[in-house]
Amino acid sequence: MPMLDLLVKFGIYAAMIISIVAAIGVVTLRSLFHAALALAAVLVGIAGIFIALRAEFLAMVQILVYVGAVMTLVIFAVMLTERLGDKTVQQNNQQSWLALIGIVAFVSILARVIMQAPWPIQPQNANFLVDTAMLGKVLLGPFVFPFEVISVVLIAALIGAIVVAKGDRK
Amino acid sequence: MFFGSGVLRGLMVTFKNFIASYFRPANQGGLFTVEYPEKRLPEKENFRNFPFLVYDGTPENLRCVACDICAKECPPKCIYIVREFDKEGRPLKRPATFDIDLTVCMNCGICEEACPFDAIYMDHEFEVANANRQEKLLYHRDDLLKSNEYFHKIRPTDAEAIDQRRREAEEKKKAAAQAAASKAAKPPEPPKPGNATPPPSPPKPDQPEQK
Amino acid sequence: MDALFVNLKQSMLNLAGVFLPEWMTLITSMAISMGAIAVLGPVIMMYLTLLERKVVGRMQNRIGPNRVGKFGLLQPLADGVKMLTKEDIIPRNADPVTHLLAPILIVAPALLVFAVIPFGRNMTAVDLNVGLLYFIAVSSTTTIAIFMASWGSRNKFSLLGGMRSVAQMVSYEIPMVLSVVPVILAAQSLSTNTIVEAQSGWMGFNWFVFRPWGFVAFVIFFLCGVAECNRSPFDLPEAESEIVAGFHTEYSGMKFALFYMAEFMNAFTISAMTVTLFLGGWQGPILPSWLWFTLKTFCLIFIMVWFRGTLPRLRVDQLMGLAWKFLLPLTFINIFVAGSWYFASLPVRITSSILILGVSFWIFTQLNKPYVREKRFYDLAD
Repeated sequence: MPMLDLLVKFGIYAAMIISIVAAIGVVTLRSLFHAALALAAVLVGIAGIFIALRAEFLAMVQILVYVGAVMTLVIFAVMLTERLGDKTVQQNNQQSWLALIGIVAFVSILARVIMQAPWPIQPQNANFLVDTAMLGKVLLGPFVFPFEVISVVLIAALIGAIVVAKGDRK
Repeated sequence: MFFGSGVLRGLMVTFKNFIASYFRPANQGGLFTVEYPEKRLPEKENFRNFPFLVYDGTPENLRCVACDICAKECPPKCIYIVREFDKEGRPLKRPATFDIDLTVCMNCGICEEACPFDAIYMDHEFEVANANRQEKLLYHRDDLLKSNEYFHKIRPTDAEAIDQRRREAEEKKKAAAQAAASKAAKPPEPPKPGNATPPPSPPKPDQPEQK
Repeated sequence: MDALFVNLKQSMLNLAGVFLPEWMTLITSMAISMGAIAVLGPVIMMYLTLLERKVVGRMQNRIGPNRVGKFGLLQPLADGVKMLTKEDIIPRNADPVTHLLAPILIVAPALLVFAVIPFGRNMTAVDLNVGLLYFIAVSSTTTIAIFMASWGSRNKFSLLGGMRSVAQMVSYEIPMVLSVVPVILAAQSLSTNTIVEAQSGWMGFNWFVFRPWGFVAFVIFFLCGVAECNRSPFDLPEAESEIVAGFHTEYSGMKFALFYMAEFMNAFTISAMTVTLFLGGWQGPILPSWLWFTLKTFCLIFIMVWFRGTLPRLRVDQLMGLAWKFLLPLTFINIFVAGSWYFASLPVRITSSILILGVSFWIFTQLNKPYVREKRFYDLAD
């Protein structure tokens, strides 16, 4: 089976390269619409990496929620404010310093995790599979409180959206 | 009724149509399409489409006398007539050219009504489409000539009435000629010597060219 | 007979195993499945166009195409030749990359979802353990392709069609996904194969549709599916009388054909998925499993065509109202009923669930009564 392993590796690297190239595209493309599409490609690539890590459920939810729903709404917003995608509008703003601080913080956390991991990861360490049933039990068991908090936040967002929409109508 | 029952009723209507299209005859809600090139509906006698020229017996014996009335009456001016002359240059009572432009003709039938010689009539021909724009859309004299028998076939009632009228006119003329001949031994009417056609052709002795 | 295609594939694999190394046979197995799907998808699409034209024709007392070949059977091929030889037009102001990519990206998910459809016993191309979720996720990406088409062609009708399409698909996805939940509860799995296996018994008629919650979920899922693939009466995104052809206004030739292909393949996969989830998939007595599956699927496709031949197009507010005010609350009630189904004895659960569903149906219809203004009479008008 060495050939198959090679194919799988090829797939993983392809997913990674697609997500990195598309991520670069997201920040460099002039057209806002193209940037949004590139973001969708990033998310699909990440779903591919999830599949390679044998987390099919996560991959599918990634596609369903991010590509199918969130990206759709993002593109909807882009289309409704089409002037933003014009080439004459400046694409960056004054918040690059704040963004840099955020990125440094995020990268430092990532670096910490990577440094702490026992490289190379042994197969026996990574042998547990999280299947859908386990995920469901965990979400409704130990993690039920954060789960419910998130749904409360979502409800708040929904109500807020309705209030904003109603206010417009006057 | 409950929510959506109207939708269900509508669905039943179309489903009945669907079933009926397979099992019912045309007059009870089945298919009434006639698949045209293979099958066709019977032609209606009163259908009129494109004019044609009538001849009696042989194609040389056509009724048209090149009087040009139809060409003058034609609203879109699609008829073009040139009179024929004999060797001495005298005009003959027949057209040398009789062209009808198919693309201009609007099938109004005024030529048929205007013709005093019963020479031009509306046809049943409707498959006049052509692949060639240059040749087949201008109908010449020989394309337009059709026999009286054909006219009888497509429009029997009209043809019978017209023939009847023509025969009566012929007899009347003959009787008048006989009466004139018996009254005084005079020379016959002037138009006769110039006329190359046999007896039945000119029904009414008038001169429409003077118009 | 039942394992006809399975045996066919096995014999082909055995033949390949004679002169190929072991790892190649696995790839050959994949290739056979992929090839079968890649051929099946377009062929199904071609003949669905013929079926649709024939059936709608019959419903309107016409004959439908019957000139090319016997019964018009070669009509799809003639259409294909016509499409291929047409001029490919790209508007001057269009975004060329997006305009080119959109038809490709819309066909890809339509073909990808064929992978998890159980065409018969042991006839699923890829038996994913999240097959149902895969189906929903992959078919939801169609929205982006429609967006690309509508934005990329720089046309107001395209843009309007795209907007409508996305609003519609986002709205109908929610009741569609939620209507599946009772089935997942009952089968305790997301795998399409396991869902079909869970409907075995009762002489092959133990289908989920014969339970009260299953029937309601079936109707909701099918309606949402019809809306998802933009078919009549939910065809607002391509309403001819309003916005020319919607998001594919600016497409011609083979690109247009690809949109058409995606639409018909979606219609097929939605029907196939409805069969898998609610009508017992390939379960059924006497006949071979793949034949049962095909029969059921084509029954549903016939219903889709029937809708098209019957119903006029919905208004935008009616469309949104149906999804958000009627189907969505009904699915919530339905999930509750399906959850309580397993905690009561047989007569109790049947009567109670029918009662709950019926009463909620009535309540939602009463709440959704369209506001009809009272007819006003003007006494002093003249």
